[in-house]
Amino acid sequence: MVKKKIAKVLAFRYTILAVILILLAGGLVLLPKYQKHEGIKPEELLSNTISSERYMTTDRLAHILINQDPSFILIDVRDEKSFVNYTLPNAINIPLKNLFNEENIGYLNQNQYDVVLFSNDHFYADQAWILCNRLGYKNMRVLKGGINEWYATIINPLKPADNMPATDFDLYATRKAASMFFGVVYPEQFKVEAPKIVKEAPKKVITIEKKKKAPAEGGC
Amino acid sequence: MGPLIPNGVIPAEWDSIIAILIGIAFGFVLEASGFSSSRKLAGQFYGYDFAVLKVFFTAALVSVIGVYYMDYLGYLDVTQLYVHPFYLWGAIIGGIIMGVGFVAAGFCPGTSLCAVAIGKIDAIVYVGGIMVGVFIFSEMYTIFEPIYNGYFYGNVTLEDSLGINPYWFVFIFSMIAIVAFIAADMVRKRVKKVFY
Repeated sequence: MVKKKIAKVLAFRYTILAVILILLAGGLVLLPKYQKHEGIKPEELLSNTISSERYMTTDRLAHILINQDPSFILIDVRDEKSFVNYTLPNAINIPLKNLFNEENIGYLNQNQYDVVLFSNDHFYADQAWILCNRLGYKNMRVLKGGINEWYATIINPLKPADNMPATDFDLYATRKAASMFFGVVYPEQFKVEAPKIVKEAPKKVITIEKKKKAPAEGGC
Repeated sequence: MGPLIPNGVIPAEWDSIIAILIGIAFGFVLEASGFSSSRKLAGQFYGYDFAVLKVFFTAALVSVIGVYYMDYLGYLDVTQLYVHPFYLWGAIIGGIIMGVGFVAAGFCPGTSLCAVAIGKIDAIVYVGGIMVGVFIFSEMYTIFEPIYNGYFYGNVTLEDSLGINPYWFVFIFSMIAIVAFIAADMVRKRVKKVFY
């Protein structure tokens, strides 16, 4: 009995398979479509965002600038006014609101250079970084602390206290040297050497004895 | 997540090993379903056996439906899949040569290797012919090169060139396949049975 039933069903096996195929293919057509997002996945974005790998210290940046490393592009994401006021050497100004203008994409979406974003602190630069990261742009970095940190560490480094470890003094020396490179002048560079007081040799008084007029001798 | 190798789920060093495993499985299935017999393959053209048409059409359908479902569910990114480059005249001429060889010998290149593995003499001759053809092509490469490398239209799909919605295309494709299966069955019933 069971065998007969199975045989009855199996007689239609090709029809059943064909119906399954049509149903599956039709299902593809009828499925509700959704917008696929370009760029990386949300989970990936989140894990990139909480990782601090993107940050570059000001010391590292100073090292790069001093060695004139050609593989880095500095991008200032502040507005134009601040950019004109003060910026890092050789930086390009791309204000945050113009970030994805067509002429700027070439700087951001590329694989050849490391891009360092910076702003006054790192918050605007972080926003720019997240937008770029979301689109899957590679090699994006953020200057930790931005220009404020740059000013506090490189341009105007804090002199370590006497009881601090030697490494702090080394760091200070490096930063000081870097700041000199970027044009800071320290008073000790201008230490005017105390004028040498040349002791004049005491004048020897050579007394020349006047020849005594010989008393007139003889006479008349 | 997928494709697995380009996205680093499986390291790229494994691809040769995976290729060998898939190749062994493919060869086994070809041989097990009788595709190493040139009579079965030729039956397609004489109308007494449509196994080849059915098997390859079904395989294409199952994979294309599966790929688009996996893409929809986010397991596989269709845009990352390899698309074969399209050389217009290379494809046309190569297709004609391949078709003539298929009808004349009753093997396509893959099944011929299967048949060599089980010791069919006609297949050995066929593979020898492939080698001769490869040799001639290599020696005369400078003559063939303009056709071989010319008329290149990029890695296009039907979606790009005709602007078809892929989901509708899959649906229409499966309808065509089923119509082809029914037609093939009708033809087979009319043709005199051949025992092989």
